[in-house]
This record gives sequence, C-alpha cells and structure tokens, in this order.
Amino acid sequence: MNNKTEKKEDQNQDQQQNSSALVQKIQQLGQSNIPQAPDSNIHVLSIIGQVEGHIQLPPQNKTTKYEHLLPQLIAIEQNPKIEGLIILLNTVGGDVEAGLALSEMISSISKPTVSIVLGGGHSIGVPIAVATNYSYIVPTATMTIHPVRLTGLVIGVPQTFEYLDKMQDRVINFVVNHSNIKEEKFKDLMFAKGNLTRDIGTNVIGTDAVEYGLIDGVGGVKEAMQKINELINDNKTVENQVIQ
Amino acid sequence: MILYTPLSEADIYPNSPEDFSNRHCVSYGGKSLYVEQTADGSYQLLQLLSTDPQDFMDENYTPGTILR
Repeated sequence: MNNKTEKKEDQNQDQQQNSSALVQKIQQLGQSNIPQAPDSNIHVLSIIGQVEGHIQLPPQNKTTKYEHLLPQLIAIEQNPKIEGLIILLNTVGGDVEAGLALSEMISSISKPTVSIVLGGGHSIGVPIAVATNYSYIVPTATMTIHPVRLTGLVIGVPQTFEYLDKMQDRVINFVVNHSNIKEEKFKDLMFAKGNLTRDIGTNVIGTDAVEYGLIDGVGGVKEAMQKINELINDNKTVENQVIQ
Repeated sequence: MILYTPLSEADIYPNSPEDFSNRHCVSYGGKSLYVEQTADGSYQLLQLLSTDPQDFMDENYTPGTILR
C-alpha cells in the first residue's frame, strides 16, 4: 500500500514539475500570449469607512485617506484613456475639510462622474455623493443628515457657535449647489427632532433621498454603468462638435 | 479638526489605542498598497489603492497576500 501511494505521489510531483516546466518555457520564450482584458475606460474610486483628514485615526477604524485620493483624481483627469469615473460610497463620514476637499475635487473633474451610495453615505458622505454629475442610491442605503458637532475642548463663547455654524454652512451650501434639494428642506432634515436616537437629524433612506432631490436616482451598478456610458458619449459628441 | 460623523468619539478613539506603527503605505509593482508588517518581517497586503478595476482582478493583489 505504502509503495503504491508513494508511486502516486511521485507521479503527481512529476506531473506538476512537467506542467511548471512548460509554464516556464512559455514564459521564457514568450510563446503564449494570454488574452488580457482591455484597459478599462471607466475607473472606480471607493470611499469606504471614515474619511480621514488631518489626523491619522486609530487602526480599528477603516479609513479612506484623502492624501491617497487627491493624486488619483488628478491622474484620472490627466489620463486620456480614462473617460469616466464611478464613485462607490459606503462611508460613516469623517473629517469635514477632507470630505469637502474630495467633494470639490470630484465636482471639478472635467470627465463624467457617477456615484453610487451603497449601505450608507452618512454626514460628510452626503456632499461627496452629490458632487458627481449624476448620483445613484441603492434602495437599502441610508444617509444620515445631522448637524456638525464639536468634540474635545470647547470654549464656551458665542464665537465657538459661530465657527461651527460657518463650518456647517459650507457643507449645506455645497450640497444645495450640487443637488436638487432646497436649502430649507435640507436644513429641516438636518435639524429634525425625534428621528434619531439621542441625536438631532434624519436618517434618509434610498427612495426618500431621491424624493427630496438630494440624490438623482435609485439604482445600482447597472443603472450607474448605463448612465456613465451615456455621459461619456455626450462628452464625446460635444468634443467632436468643438473640433468641427 | 472637526469630524462630521454619526459615530461617537469613543468609537473612533478607543481608550487604549493599539500600536499601528507597523502599517505602511508602500509602492509595490507599480501599485500603491496599504500593508501591515507581520511578526516575521514580511508584509501582508491590507488594501490595494487603485482606481483601475482591472487591478482588482489580479490575484497577486488580493487582500491578505504576503509580499516578499
């Protein structure tokens, strides 16, 4: 019995060696050309976990670092092979300034951009979601809209409140300017009572976000791909017209 | 810095922050990777930082891969 199994193992090893030798030969001589998928003309930027800004967060936080994303956005803008960008969002929010920086970068890209909110696009995820040319939300996703809070040392003077109010206005203005929601409505959602436990604000679910005009449509991957291809085609025809 | 998130501060900053000096962002094979140095000195891939969806089809860059 033992001999038999040993023989079998030997055979197996031989076969493996043979196949690996074959692969090596192919690699060395360059005879086999494995068909590779063509470069994608649509790139994907995923914004997941916390949006990390000025301070590095402890490792148990899953973070998206804005210093990684900003150069990637420039690279996408520069690369002529990339024709469109899809933003995948599943974020719990994070640094206000990092989030606003990302939102402004995304909104100022000349190429077509489409976002999909999956799971959650809370707090600072809201301006990032609306920064694109067209935004989608899956029916099960939610977006929490709530006032900006101060943590840590707070000086009890009116100026503190004014500073916070200005910070909040930056977020509100960006969202209002880049989506179809009215400022009044957005503020109503932000300062609503009784919707969130122990907090002021609203948890807006998929279809409601579209109803309020915050997000452009309910949909997932299929809808987003259709939309971005449509926008890319529109972009191309505009460019052609300019040349002619 | 102001964090705009529904999470509480205690969730983000735990009382006993673990050491995360063993996590680095490196460039490997022309791609930016977020890696963690394991006890034996090798690097384990945590996250591939790329916008090209084809990069994620490359099995050499699946999360958890040990890099030499």
